[in-house]
Amino acid sequence: MNWPLLFAQVFNGLTLGALLVLVAMGLTIIFGALGVVNFAHGSFYALGAYAGVVAYKYSGSFLLAMVSGAVVLLVVGVIIERGLIRLYYNRPKEDQILVTFGVAIVVVEAIRAHFGGLAQHLPVPSWGEGAVNLGLTYYPTYRIEVLGIVACALVALYLVLFRTKIGLIVRAGIEDPLIVNILGINVTRTFLTVFGLGTMAAGFAGVINGPIVTVTPDMGADVLVQSFVVIVIGGVGSFWGALVGGLIAGEILSLTAMVQPAYSQVMLFAAMAVVLILRPQGLFGVQGRQ
Amino acid sequence: MCVPHISGARWRMSLLEVEGINAYYGDAHTLFDVSLHVEQHEVVALLGRNGAGKTTTLKTIMGVMAPKRGAIRFGGQPIQGLPPYEIARRGIQLVPDERRILGGLTVEENLVLAGLAAERRWPLERVWEVFPRLAERRGNRGRDLSGGEQQMLAIARALVREPQLILLDEPFEGLAPIIVQDLLGVCRALAKEGRTIVIVEQNVHAALSLAQRCYVLNNGHLVYEGTPASLHLDPDLMHRYLGV
Amino acid sequence: MSEGATRRGGPFRERLPEIVVGLAVIALPFALPPIGGTLDLAQRILDWGLFGLGFDILFGFTGLLAFGQAAFFGAGGFTAAYLLTAPYTENAVLALAAGTVVGAVLGLIIGLLSLRRSGIYFAMLTLAFGEMAYFLEISPLAKWTGGENGIAGVPTPTLGFGLFTLNLETPDDVYWLLAVLFFLGFWLARRIIRSPLGLVLRAIRDNETRASAVGHDVQKYKLTAFVIAAAYAGLAGGLLGLLQGYMPPDAFYLDTSGQLVVQTVIGGAGTLVGPAIGAAVWLYLYTALQQVADIGSLWKMFLGAIFVVLVTVLRGGIGGGFVLLWRRVRGARKEGSLDAPMTAPVGQAPATTMPVDRRRARRDGPVVLSATELTKRYSGLLAVDRVSFELMDGEIRAVIGPNGAGKSTFFNMLAGVVPPTSGDVHFKGDRLTGLGVAVVCQRGLAKSFQINQLFGTLSVRENVLIAALARHLGKFRLSLLRNVLRISDLARLVDETLAAVQLSDRAGTPVSNLAYGEKRRLEIGLALATRPQVLLLDEPMAGMSPNERTDTVRLLKRIAEGISIVIVEHDMDVIFELADRITVLYNGGKIAEGTPEQIQADPHVRAAYLGSPVAHEPARG
Repeated sequence: MNWPLLFAQVFNGLTLGALLVLVAMGLTIIFGALGVVNFAHGSFYALGAYAGVVAYKYSGSFLLAMVSGAVVLLVVGVIIERGLIRLYYNRPKEDQILVTFGVAIVVVEAIRAHFGGLAQHLPVPSWGEGAVNLGLTYYPTYRIEVLGIVACALVALYLVLFRTKIGLIVRAGIEDPLIVNILGINVTRTFLTVFGLGTMAAGFAGVINGPIVTVTPDMGADVLVQSFVVIVIGGVGSFWGALVGGLIAGEILSLTAMVQPAYSQVMLFAAMAVVLILRPQGLFGVQGRQ
Repeated sequence: MCVPHISGARWRMSLLEVEGINAYYGDAHTLFDVSLHVEQHEVVALLGRNGAGKTTTLKTIMGVMAPKRGAIRFGGQPIQGLPPYEIARRGIQLVPDERRILGGLTVEENLVLAGLAAERRWPLERVWEVFPRLAERRGNRGRDLSGGEQQMLAIARALVREPQLILLDEPFEGLAPIIVQDLLGVCRALAKEGRTIVIVEQNVHAALSLAQRCYVLNNGHLVYEGTPASLHLDPDLMHRYLGV
Repeated sequence: MSEGATRRGGPFRERLPEIVVGLAVIALPFALPPIGGTLDLAQRILDWGLFGLGFDILFGFTGLLAFGQAAFFGAGGFTAAYLLTAPYTENAVLALAAGTVVGAVLGLIIGLLSLRRSGIYFAMLTLAFGEMAYFLEISPLAKWTGGENGIAGVPTPTLGFGLFTLNLETPDDVYWLLAVLFFLGFWLARRIIRSPLGLVLRAIRDNETRASAVGHDVQKYKLTAFVIAAAYAGLAGGLLGLLQGYMPPDAFYLDTSGQLVVQTVIGGAGTLVGPAIGAAVWLYLYTALQQVADIGSLWKMFLGAIFVVLVTVLRGGIGGGFVLLWRRVRGARKEGSLDAPMTAPVGQAPATTMPVDRRRARRDGPVVLSATELTKRYSGLLAVDRVSFELMDGEIRAVIGPNGAGKSTFFNMLAGVVPPTSGDVHFKGDRLTGLGVAVVCQRGLAKSFQINQLFGTLSVRENVLIAALARHLGKFRLSLLRNVLRISDLARLVDETLAAVQLSDRAGTPVSNLAYGEKRRLEIGLALATRPQVLLLDEPMAGMSPNERTDTVRLLKRIAEGISIVIVEHDMDVIFELADRITVLYNGGKIAEGTPEQIQADPHVRAAYLGSPVAHEPARG
């Protein structure tokens, strides 16, 4: 048993998982509050990475790149929610899937048209260079930092959701938007916030993942599918579901890759199928909230 | 535009004026030309069997449903067709049937939420004073409360906003008689304070013990308007529309 | 081509879509070159069109949005390509057939897993399985599939038909192969749509709950549609390898599944030819826009934007737009022109009623439906508490009670919608407990809903036909090729039912054009068409004006000849006029049961309704 390799792979799984958590978190709050399955979520992830690339090119600051990834997507999310998504709240779910799928095509192709299909370069920031001695093995510093960054982002999200007034409204809106309405709060404005937060999470994940993976227009497709799997495993609309589900997914991908790389994605889908058969609502999901 | 209501020699504007509303659920006609009025400081009971249209009437007043024809005026201002949050801001609060408190939030969070968009709001301390039972359970999640406690929370939540008109939809439904007595006490206290209340109830005796006036709905039509006393004097009517 | 076509026009009228499609595929290779298209483009349009025929059956006609059709397309394609290049056979017919079968089998497996969920989850599952297939192709199965290289060197097709073989050497030949297969595929798809199975699929799309409630095994029908789509996909995949001479791994891409969906929506879902139209638009724009210098690479972005606009504004796509135009040009449809004329005006009893199966026996016939200690508990809440109940043959029983009494829950347990926590339901001696609403309806216990549950895009006649079909087919039957309109027994039953609910003169009307009272009658008609022995009516008077109530009471009295009825209602006048006996529920328990007079006099009932502080025990009656 190659302990150093195992150790490194476990950490890879955490890093990968952490990013999936962030992306899935955005997806699940949109789904939970708005009931919309955002098939454009992967494209927002890619757009975040590209925003970061541009910001880095002009400023040389990775910090600015991270902020850009988040802010650009917040703006994009607001525009798309106001301009398009809110037309779909009363339409059948299939239509919502179709329109977000269409948005994904437009976003990805717009990226491709402007930047071309070749991979862009987002380098590891200066404070992330090198490797850290973890005892059993050396591990890239940046990846450890990613864990830290994502943890901070999740804590921030948790604080917003559970300790602020707007978070209270969002959580109430996920449960019963009509009551929120009756209490004098314009609940559709909340939808705007939720959609913005969700896309921002995806964009931010895109930037910070930029140095680890190749930045191409299609980088979001795999992530989209994987985050769907995370939501199915973890349960829809659940903060903890996205967290646990994402970490489990990351570890499945990483550890399988160690043993049999060809099967790593397949194992993930197999895990999803198992959850579906044994516990359809997911690990933390509430039964009946379909 | 005010719609004066003549009583004796005095002109008085009704707090709430519902005029000829027709409501539909899809294309099912659920309310047929329903008209009623509520004066300030009154407790008005809206009675009828289930399916009669009582809840529909309250929902229409609160803006949850928009009437297809007819008008609703509150303080002289037309409110039909406005969204619920707008009507809430004008001073009406609905305590829905099935309570609908937010189960995932704590008691305290439910109350804080209620006050967020209110111009004037009750401080939490006042809620604890009036509802000591809720104070004991302030940190519990809504879904962990008993039926009676949930109903109390639903009423407290409405009161936090200092509404001018409270709409109570079947507050006693599904509760044990002892709890009903408790809640009746709460409602009597509210009435004594001079609050304006419309109460929809199937429990006729409980409702009539609170109300100064009552209306009876049957199959979406208004079939009676009068006082509890006059209703009691007509047992045939009571059985026809309220009993069996 | 219009999927609502249920009229039996002349033979030419009926065959019109096939004729048009036949002419179109013949004309296509000639129509394209003048506008810059090539034969290769024509071939691909037909291949995608064939792929889309199956998908439209699944999405356009059954309402299931699947995002993983590439799995079957690729599986069929690589199977055929592998067999031809290994080589295990030189006969393209065998290879294509094998590909189709492999596609279908894979469809069965993935369908069984994905259909455990519905709606969005189903879409996500199919997406994930599609991706899974891709990853399997790339690595683990690379030995057979060529991994990222695909399978090259697929030979020009040799079609072996046993006695003779056909060598297709030129691209023209290959085009005619595709044309023939597309035409046959279209012909078959049309037959499927017009078959009993096709009607059930459309019922599922419009109202799955009702399709189940009238007795159809919805899961099995959905699976059938899924397998059909997968089979078409497998065939189309094999053909792709043949027309390119090469089987590419991007057959498995998510892009491929997505392209199919976009093309279908652009061309118009639910038209069968929508996917082909969409493919023509997509592929033509792709080739044509490529030439234009500045916007060459933006063609897909434009297409995506067009797609978004179409979904938002013209959901029916190009095909749907044509149908709307067609309808507007032709003006209002002549309603019911081919249906039995109705001589009696609405409101009066028609000459014929439902055939009387038995003499009506009030209160003293044998017990036909019984509930024993039926209980339903929802975590902590006891909704129904040990209620027992016996319905006599021919009786009309009303179930009443104040709000929260448990009437709906009790009713739903009888109907099989909700399984009881404990207790049993017996129907003519058979135990029905927990068998589910479709089985219960098949056995002869039909329910009608408080809120109309109709098949919204279909006509009145089609609605009743769906219900009548359930008893005819049983829970599930693979009836793909008969024309559902030509089954004479069914047609007769439909006519009788329409007459019984006085909708004969509205038979051709789309449900959306009916007045509320008419919809309510149709609602009851759907339950009647399943030939029940017991009819469960959930608030049939809901939302009715006083006049409509009177009419409906008359209707119910008529149809009560020969069947037993359980009716949940709040309208006491109606109940007292109709009911032989009344059961009163309160707080989940039964507190009284008897004739209307007995119930009116019962002090416990009075107390329950008026809420007197008099405590009462639930009566065992």
